[in-house]
Amino acid sequence: MISLSYNHFFILSIVIFIIGCFGLFLNRRNMILILMCIEIILLAANINFVSASVFLNDINGQVFSIFILTIAAAEAAIGLAILVIYFRNKGEIDITKINQLRD
Amino acid sequence: MFLVGSFFLFSAFLVTTCIFVIFSKNPVNSVLFLVLAFLNSTFLFILIGAEFVGIILAIVYIGAVAILFLFVVMMLDIQKVTLMLNIKKYVPIAVVFASIILAEIIYLTVYKTTKVNPDIIIKHENNTEQIGDVLYTTYFIDFQLSGIVLLLAMIGAIVLTHVYRPSIKRQNIDKQNTTSSSNRVQLVKIKSGQGIKND
Repeated sequence: MISLSYNHFFILSIVIFIIGCFGLFLNRRNMILILMCIEIILLAANINFVSASVFLNDINGQVFSIFILTIAAAEAAIGLAILVIYFRNKGEIDITKINQLRD
Repeated sequence: MFLVGSFFLFSAFLVTTCIFVIFSKNPVNSVLFLVLAFLNSTFLFILIGAEFVGIILAIVYIGAVAILFLFVVMMLDIQKVTLMLNIKKYVPIAVVFASIILAEIIYLTVYKTTKVNPDIIIKHENNTEQIGDVLYTTYFIDFQLSGIVLLLAMIGAIVLTHVYRPSIKRQNIDKQNTTSSSNRVQLVKIKSGQGIKND
């Protein structure tokens, strides 16, 4: 009989964080997948914050997870806007050719 | 036992959906799996008693961010983009990162134990009231600043994606407000049988 502890959630958040990083390293051409991997990484940070807040009996972690949520939403909006104008300029979203945008 | 069982169920589902997000060939499938991952983390948050953050996660992520992703994926025709699974090139850096993170996990889970902090007195029973008690007093400035960040993101997204086309006719509000009726309408008395002379 095991009871739920902080270590369960810590390992879960680490696993999700590693999956997100793995996706970043793996898909280096599709820009929208890179944005989704960043969302996964932020979700892992959120899980860590909230579970630590619950198990340490301190509410500040949940407040900070709300701030992380705000920043994640802003980042997604800006990233997708950049993606849309990049697609309008180039006709594709291959991120390996983004260095051709200079000069 | 119910708590532990549902934790393992939801977390297994969460990890599986995150893996599917990465490995899906079609970006639309990735976005839908991302929605499922957010839903599972919502369940996990509700399971440990953080209802407010869980519901906010569902509303913000599933209702706004994932739908935004879905719109962009469907608007751009990116079926033809092929994924590059060039793993061999990145094996050394991946091994370095993975070993660092593994060492951190082992250090933190084996040598550090987390204790429940009983000193903090929680005034309210309700999770939402607890958050509101702190969010609008201690973190008031941060709360306003996050609102400014959202405003800047909105303005930035509009400015980036807005296209000015001079060929489209549109209202000029300044011109409308400064003009008067005498510039636009001319009243003519017409005598019967003569018609209007065009000056």
